[in-house]
Parts: sequence; C-alpha cells; structure tokens
Amino acid sequence: MKKNKLNKVIIAAICIYLVLPLLLTFVYSIFSEWKSVLPEGPTLKFYVHLFSDTGFLLPILRTFIISVVPVIICTILILLAMYVITVHLPWLDKYMQILCTIPYAIQGIILAIGVLSLYSGLPEPLSNRIVMLILTYCIVVLPYLYRGIKNSLNSINAALLLETAQVLGSSRFHAFFAIIVPNIVPGISVSVMLSVSILFGDFVIVNIIAGSYYTTAQIYLYRLLFESGQTSSAVVCILFALTLLMTNGALSLYSRLNKKLLVEKEE
Amino acid sequence: MSYIRFENINKSFGSNHVLRGINLDINKGQLVTLLGPSGCGKSTLLRILAGLETPASGRVILDDEDITNMDPRFRNVGMVFQQYSLFPNMTVSENIAFGLKLQKKTSISDIKKYTAEVIEMVELKGKEKAYPAQLSGGQQQRVALARSIIMKPKVLLLDEPLSAVDAKLRKALQFQIREIQKRLGITLIFVTHDQDEAMIMSDVIHLFSEGKIEQSGHPIEMYTTPKTRFAAGFIGHYNILNPDEFSTITGEHSPDGFDLAIRPETVEISAEPQSPGMNAYQLTAVVVGFIPHGNVLRYTVKIAGILLQIDVLFRSFKLFEPGQTVYLTIEKRNCLAVQSSEA
Repeated sequence: MKKNKLNKVIIAAICIYLVLPLLLTFVYSIFSEWKSVLPEGPTLKFYVHLFSDTGFLLPILRTFIISVVPVIICTILILLAMYVITVHLPWLDKYMQILCTIPYAIQGIILAIGVLSLYSGLPEPLSNRIVMLILTYCIVVLPYLYRGIKNSLNSINAALLLETAQVLGSSRFHAFFAIIVPNIVPGISVSVMLSVSILFGDFVIVNIIAGSYYTTAQIYLYRLLFESGQTSSAVVCILFALTLLMTNGALSLYSRLNKKLLVEKEE
Repeated sequence: MSYIRFENINKSFGSNHVLRGINLDINKGQLVTLLGPSGCGKSTLLRILAGLETPASGRVILDDEDITNMDPRFRNVGMVFQQYSLFPNMTVSENIAFGLKLQKKTSISDIKKYTAEVIEMVELKGKEKAYPAQLSGGQQQRVALARSIIMKPKVLLLDEPLSAVDAKLRKALQFQIREIQKRLGITLIFVTHDQDEAMIMSDVIHLFSEGKIEQSGHPIEMYTTPKTRFAAGFIGHYNILNPDEFSTITGEHSPDGFDLAIRPETVEISAEPQSPGMNAYQLTAVVVGFIPHGNVLRYTVKIAGILLQIDVLFRSFKLFEPGQTVYLTIEKRNCLAVQSSEA
C-alpha cells in the first residue's frame, strides 16, 4: 500500500515537471502582463493576431512541407533499397546498417555546415538552398526510417513470405510491394511520423542552410523571441498542439492498421 | 519414365556439401516422404524442386520438362511451409485465392467457386473472412494447404508442415492430408524428421543421411528390413548390437562389417525359462526398468552389461519388477544384419 502511494507520488512529480513549463507558457500567452505573482489582463489577442497574420501561417505551411517531403523521398528510397537487399543482395544489409547509423553520430550543426560548404559553390539545383535542405533532411531521418522499416521486415519474416508468393506465381518485385509493404505499413507509418516530428522541431539545420531563404515556424519563433514574449509563447503553444495532433493522428492510424493485422486470437 | 526425376543433384552452402549426387525418381500420384534428421538435405532437395534453390550440378525433370533453371512462378509447383507463411494482411479467402487471381486466367466468379470448394475440403467453412492471426496453428496450416491445392499444382511439396502443431492435431492433419491427396490424385512430396509420420502417410519413403539417400522403399519394407545401422536406428526402435555385443550375448558371430538389429517387439520375455528350439536364442537377463508407451510397456533389461529394450503389449497389470531375472527368446530370423556405419 505504501509502495503504491510512493509510485503515485513519483508519477505525479514527473507529470508536473513535464507539464508545468508548457502550462506556464500557455498561461503567459493568454494574459497581457505578468509582472507580479499572478498574471493580469486575460486576453486572446496574441492568438487572434497570429492566426490573422500570413507571416505566421506561411511558416507553418513551409514547416509542414519541409518536414513531409524529405520523409516521403527517404521512405521511397529506403523501400527500394530494402527490396534490392531482401530479394537480391542480402549480404549488402550489414553495409546498409552501418551507412544508416552514421547520421546518428553527426550533430545537426556539423551536418548543416558540412553540406553548406560542400555544395554552396556548385551549380543549380545542388546549390539551391531548398534542395540542399530537403536532401540534408533525408540524411537526418535516414536512421529512424531505416530502423523502423528493417524491424518491421524482420517481424514478418519477409524472406519466407516472398518465397511463398513466388511459388504461388508472383514476381519478386510484385511480391515485395503487394505483400511485404502492406504488411509493414504500421511500422512504416510510425517511423514516418517520428521522422516528421523530428524535422518539424528542427531549428539548427534549417537556420544554417536556409534561414533567410525559407522561414519556417521555428525560425519565425526565434525571431519573435526578441519582439514579444507573449506572442512567442502563443507560437510555442500552437506548435505543440500541432505536433500533438500529428502524433495522435499517427497513433490512431497505427492502431487502425494494426487492428487488421494483429487481431486478438479467437481461441 | 518417372514423373519427377532428380539427376545427380549436388548442392553446397559454403563448405557444407548438403546434397551429394542425389538420383531420385518419383511416380505420378504418389505420396512420397523424404525422411531424415535435421541438416540431411531433404528440405534443400524440396526447395530445389520448387525453384527456391539452384543445384550446383544436376538436373530436375518434372513431367518430361527440364525445370532446373526455371523461375519458381512458372513451375506450377505448390509448396506448404512449416511456418504456414500466410499473408497477414489478407483474409482466409484472399490468401487462398491469391495465386488464381495472379494468373488472371480464371474469372472472378470461378475463383469464388473454387475458393469455396477448397475451403470446404479443408474444413474451414465459416472462417472465410478471418485473418491469419485469428486462426489456430492447425487452421493456418489448412489455409496454407488450400492455397496450394487450389492452383492444381503438378506436385505439392510439404516442408515439415506439421512440426509446429500439437500431437493430437498432427494426427488429424496427417489423416486429412492423406485423404485430400488420394481424392485429388495429386503427387505429393512430404518432408519430415518424424519416422512415425512417414510410416503413416507415405507410399514410398526415402531416408536421407548426410546429403545422400540411405534407403528407399515402402514403409513396411523400410521398417522390417533396414539395410544400414542408420536406417535401423532412425526408423523404429531397433536394438542395435555391434559384432562384439552380439557375440557376448548369443555366442555367435555376425558377418563382417555388419551389426545386428533386433526390434523390441520381436523379443519374448517371460519369468520362467522357455524351450526356444534351434531357431531361437534363449537369454537370461535382469530387468533394469520400464516405461509405459501408450498400450506398450517398454522394458529395459541387462545382459552381461549390454542393455536391450523389449516392447510388451500392455494387457495386464502383471509387471516384471526391476531387479527381477527374466528369460528372453529371440527368433534368429528377427536378428537382422545391417551395414555398420564404418562399412
């Protein structure tokens, strides 16, 4: 009984520790002033201002685009690579693993400066900042997507399913994309959403590579910090709500897809 | 000309020579079992026939056609794997109809009709819309079987299909597979390491050992006349005595290069000495212990330090107790000379 109480206290303390900063940020964003103990003058003017300002909505849209496009490109590339590895060249898998783990070890700032110094002098489209940013993001999300897809492939015994489909008259390419991929969609969707969330929150890379060319929500927030504390707090709350919505969407998608595949046994 | 012919098939995985010059003929409509311990090459031979492995040398002929290098999808060979290998995102019906849909030769209405027929054949009516995760192991294996037989394959390959199901269900499925094979007249090659399963199901057994065929024959022939020590040890529960052991307990010599194999059920055991006559050995032994095996009691007895096993039909509660002296009668014709492994 005592132990149970202690557990509850620990969990409550952790929850408060995690939620309190966000809660205070939100409170700060809905009051005009907070100079004494309690804030004064409740208002929603910061939110109204943000939602009526295209200068804020556009960066949100840009952030969304720049988070989704690299993930789509990278997912397609990894699936094609995994097809080749699973079907034709299984011995390449260990090299793929090493290759896909390297980005974990490279910090964002090093990656961004490296890419910028290497490609900025080259002709278009390589020196185009948006192209550069998208391709850099592809590298950033590579480990997350690769791991997710690889683990999903392991969990369904892809090699055996491929052989079965072949014996039943399917080509290996058809078997991979008609049987293997639909069966790993739950795993892929989780990796995709995780990757999108990571890119959605990035500031370092986008600021170095395309800060003045492509204002995302994070850059907008950074600039706003010097102008208005309440407005930037409102931006933080909106970004948090959006990320929450995305994560929630991913989780419900995952459970819906998984329901079909992993229904509890009747017997 | 046989329906399926393997000609001098060799296959290696690295330094492991898995198949060593296999020559094998299989007739149409037979249920043939490839029997042997793990790693003896039986599954590899099956995979070569399915096109999932390529032999290092040799030819595979199916229905007068050389299929050695043919793509698996054009061979019209059905295969059922040990792990069921059902497509998890498809229902029972979708799994079964998968191959026919791919062929694009059959109309949708016919596919539905054939699917319903095979579902009934494997007794899965009512489970058409279930997903593999909702089925038991036995049901999944029946879906895998149905998925193969709906294609009307030239030959159906079953790679240890019953290893993952429990003993009671295994017996039922053995019977069901045999019934379906007979009803459809399909040629079926069954891979197993279970000698009882091979005995129950097969028209012909090919016993594999270390990449070679040790012995082939009808199940009864395989059981009653094993040719080698390995065959005697793998099929049935023979007591195998080397020449020295045989000489110690009987006083007679076995032919050079041969061991003597004695089936446990051919040894008579009694509490009193018997008069065996000229054509039998009378031996005195001491009971070491016994284990009930269903309707059979398996005694272990010791003669001059050599252990023998004896099967007695479990008809009464009159048992021979451990430590008791017993008298064994072994007909000479039941002492089979089998090639020793060194020969």
